[in-house]
Amino acid sequence: MLFNQAIEIDESLNDDVMRLSLSGERVRYSLRLKPADVAAAKKSSGLKLPAKIGGTSIAAGQTILCLGPQEWLIVALPKSREKLAGTMAKLSADYICSAVEVSHRNLQFTVTGPGAARALNAACPLDLSVDAFPVGKGTRTIFEGAPIVLWRTAEHEFTVEVWRSFAPYLRDFLAKTAKDRHMA
Amino acid sequence: MMLIHCPYCEEKRPEIEFAYAGEAHIHRPVKDADDMTDEEWSHFMFLRDNKRGDHAERWWHANGCNMFFNAVRNTVTDKFLVTYKMGELPPKASASNAKLPAAKKTGGAK
Ligand SMILES: [Zn+2]
Repeated sequence: MLFNQAIEIDESLNDDVMRLSLSGERVRYSLRLKPADVAAAKKSSGLKLPAKIGGTSIAAGQTILCLGPQEWLIVALPKSREKLAGTMAKLSADYICSAVEVSHRNLQFTVTGPGAARALNAACPLDLSVDAFPVGKGTRTIFEGAPIVLWRTAEHEFTVEVWRSFAPYLRDFLAKTAKDRHMA
Repeated sequence: MMLIHCPYCEEKRPEIEFAYAGEAHIHRPVKDADDMTDEEWSHFMFLRDNKRGDHAERWWHANGCNMFFNAVRNTVTDKFLVTYKMGELPPKASASNAKLPAAKKTGGAK
């Protein structure tokens, strides 16, 4: 599968209960910093790195998730490619850190609709009620056999980042469990 | 499904996000391996208590924050008494978690 090649999404994955859609191309970085450098790196780079694990900073065109201690995933629109590359190069020059471009590692889906949480819960064991997993929370977790990064952008709207090779599996799993979501 | 409290995520997470990683608080011998007898070295490498009861062990939040941490789990009931960050000692015995195992050294560490 080429990085810019969309995977087909069957019409059965688009109804009133849940809609699965593939996002367009994204630029991605995995960033790790030393604890002592975080404050200064944040200031000099201008990146809004959330401090707490599970925290996200969602802005137009760029989402940053804190996945682990001093570990962030940055997902941005292609128009930020040059700017981000410059920011990361500067961070790498100024600090002992790990700033790795992983743009082509993942594909991104959005899962929307009143049955979105229920659809994901067919494969993801997290409590996805709004109380336990509020809007703005994001985490690395598991979708059956596939590791994913999941965040909630609205009550009935999630974004899923999945390794490219697992993307057809995720799509097919959601298709196969469609019957379950339609049961009250 | 069992829920395990991750001390880094600071919340309870589903068991299948985690992986077990053996007994905790096994100190690597200070002596160089070449200066140790095979018996001493094998003691560090392979011999474990295989305890029945409260057991200090390592866990890995593999499909979560990706951190290793330590836990005291009862191997009979499979109940987690406490989880704590890497580098910390098992919390002192309290009313709720009486008689926690202390950190121990293995052969060759003297
Ligand atoms: Zn964790």
